[in-house]
Amino acid sequence: MASEKALDCLRRRLCDSSFVYSAFKSTPAGNYSKLKFLISNTITEACNNSVLLLGPRGCGKGAVVDMILEELKDEFPEIISVVRLNGLLHSDDNFAVKGKQRLLYSLLDAMQTLTSQSVVIGISCRLNILGDKKFKEILDVLSSVDNTISNICRFLYHAISWMHFESGSLTLDGFKNALSCMQRQPMLDKLQGASVLEFYILVCMNRLGSREQNSFNFNSIMKEYKAIQDAYKTSDNYSWSVCLRAFEHLIERELISFLDNRMRSLSIEYRPVRLLLSSQELHQGLKSNSFCPVSNINY
Amino acid sequence: MAKDEAIPLSPGRKTRSSSQLSPSKPSPQNVYPFSSQTQSQELIHCLYTSEEPISLETLISSFPGRKPQILEILRLVGSLNSPMFPLLIYGGPSTGKTIAILQIFRYLNRPFVYAGCRTCYSPRILFDSILRQLLLHGRNPIKGNSGTKRYEKPSEFIDLLRIALVQGINALKERNLKSGSEEVDRGEMIYLIFDNCELLRSWDKNSNIVPLLLRIHEMLKIPEVGIIYISSSTPDAYYLCTGSIEPITIYFPDYTLEDLHGIFMRNQPNPKLYSSFLSVVLKPFFRVTRRVDELSVAFQPLFQQYCKPLVDRFVVPDEAMKRKLFDNLQPYLTVSLNELFTVPSWSSHQTKQEGDHQKKGISKSNRKETSNELDFHMSMSAKYLLLSAFIASRNPATLDASLFDSSGGLINRKRNKNSQMSMDRKDSMAEQILLKGPGSFPLERLLAIFQCITSVAESMVEEEQYENGTAIESESFGLTSDVLLQLSSLCNANFIWKSGSCPLEGSTRYRCTIDEEMAVRVAKSINFPLSSYLYRR
Repeated sequence: MASEKALDCLRRRLCDSSFVYSAFKSTPAGNYSKLKFLISNTITEACNNSVLLLGPRGCGKGAVVDMILEELKDEFPEIISVVRLNGLLHSDDNFAVKGKQRLLYSLLDAMQTLTSQSVVIGISCRLNILGDKKFKEILDVLSSVDNTISNICRFLYHAISWMHFESGSLTLDGFKNALSCMQRQPMLDKLQGASVLEFYILVCMNRLGSREQNSFNFNSIMKEYKAIQDAYKTSDNYSWSVCLRAFEHLIERELISFLDNRMRSLSIEYRPVRLLLSSQELHQGLKSNSFCPVSNINY
Repeated sequence: MAKDEAIPLSPGRKTRSSSQLSPSKPSPQNVYPFSSQTQSQELIHCLYTSEEPISLETLISSFPGRKPQILEILRLVGSLNSPMFPLLIYGGPSTGKTIAILQIFRYLNRPFVYAGCRTCYSPRILFDSILRQLLLHGRNPIKGNSGTKRYEKPSEFIDLLRIALVQGINALKERNLKSGSEEVDRGEMIYLIFDNCELLRSWDKNSNIVPLLLRIHEMLKIPEVGIIYISSSTPDAYYLCTGSIEPITIYFPDYTLEDLHGIFMRNQPNPKLYSSFLSVVLKPFFRVTRRVDELSVAFQPLFQQYCKPLVDRFVVPDEAMKRKLFDNLQPYLTVSLNELFTVPSWSSHQTKQEGDHQKKGISKSNRKETSNELDFHMSMSAKYLLLSAFIASRNPATLDASLFDSSGGLINRKRNKNSQMSMDRKDSMAEQILLKGPGSFPLERLLAIFQCITSVAESMVEEEQYENGTAIESESFGLTSDVLLQLSSLCNANFIWKSGSCPLEGSTRYRCTIDEEMAVRVAKSINFPLSSYLYRR
């Protein structure tokens, strides 16, 4: 079907970074042209050089370098060879004497000798790397213009996946869905999934917290829970072990967490815990939860 | 696969012997590291599920309440040979994430590699599992990689993974060319599925395993590879580790009441009866937990109980019968609600209550029974030792001297119970116990208290007669014999927790883990006046 083919073509283009970032090629004063000029100059003049690309994640630093290298490989066949180093993969002791920094410095030092000819292109998203004086001296900084092209790509990819095949048109629903997926609030999602008893425990913790009790654990939560049950006479009065299980669920959901990971030897009910969500978030969660009677309780 | 056998595969040994390089002796069981696990994982070894592919209707109907998510995943995975962005599927535990993905691939009938971070619990085992599945598929394993453990480092793993993936993809392409239109086209994509990604965060704080795996797509740069992550924690949990190369997220919300009803109604031999059962139990249990796994465990014995009065299990219940069945179930329901997830004690209830079918008193009589008796046997000296551990954990060490006199007996304290100060202190003490839990104590203190209370017990006979008339039989306890042996068996039974050595004193410290109710029961069984030894009384 034609529309399926069109969708396939769109997906291929969005997933192909050299297509997405090829727009950079057309701007003559852009970073793409600057970088390409710099590198090809270095190659033709047979000298050493180094460049550091800085910019936020997903703005196409790596893609631009890849495109330039592909083009240069065609322009200077058999002259250049590319060695790729990745901080995630090559930060080991075996690759450099001591970590990433050393590897870079030894590379830069090696360039001082005349026997080798090389261009070092560094790519980083950490702007604080500039604080290092040595870098400031030797590196030419290119700041990146665009922000989050990869984000936009993912948004488009998500939206076109809702393409209507019969008509071959993109749907408004698709764009809405893709947008809502990007704007999800994970805390509220997690809160939505909690059961009534789990909400009770959260409310108890919130009450303890609002009374400025600096530290509390499951036992003090249970005391509060019992107090609520006594005061409001609800039907949700469950036994200690059931509450403990609900408490464990909350930890699993990462709505609450232990304050201290060192106190493993203590059993779970004594270890101090803290709430990972604000009381506003809890309030919002309670309001959107239709079946939950906890919202009636003044907390 | 002779070459593969040389790689030592028993996972337990591997992590510990990482420094040791001699390959362990291959054994036949070692070839398939996951053969003992669930069927679905075993089948994935050949990159397809060997089960018959299913239709879209069966796929959707077998997951009540999951239709939007399944359709969304299908849309994002896309048509045959269409490249894709990485996906992250997340949602709370027991919401059907893994099974949905596996069934989706059964429907799609495309090659995939499944690696769960729970079963593959270290980077090396994970890497090993992925590469093994790929190489088994590629039919001609890469020469030279076997025998030597070369993919210990992430860079080597990525290199080998790239080679293996390209091989696999080429093999798929070749087969498609050869078979032409004879066989069903399974495409040229290979999908990598990483399950339980939330566990990655706790693996090794120093390693870059989370960013490595989450950016694997970007690093490989092979458009024929699709990546799917499954996680029970939300995407924001990974932000700190990865940066902006986020996958596209799909959220599996927790089941609603209607979804759960649909799930439990599946494959029921008598749907009418089960539906009336669910209308009774589902709502109260739903308030406690929304997890299918826990609910199904709780419902099974309850349904047995529900059906008990029925002669014919295939009867269609009318209103009167429903009410009768409900009345019959009601007492069990409340007990079960408060004992959720403790299956063994439920069955003991059943056997105890087998004879009498009285509606009332089931819970009450049980409470009474359990509160008075210990349901296990312990030797006399173990009981004393346990009690002294309990006392040592409960009382502050500084008060020992005031509780026990030099001869070991209990000092009769005169206390002003009504004074405000002691009340306050009592409150703060109770608060402290709630917050801090049982205190820890060195062995010497335990032994000293044990000495004291056993010597009291031996001389108690006379004292007891003056005090309240109840006398215990004067047995000649061999109480102090092999105390350390008793202590170690109590530690093994988890009544006493042996914690690490104290940083200041350097000796091992102990902690008593039993609660007060149990301690009182133990004390009662040997007629020991426990309450007079506890500080806050």
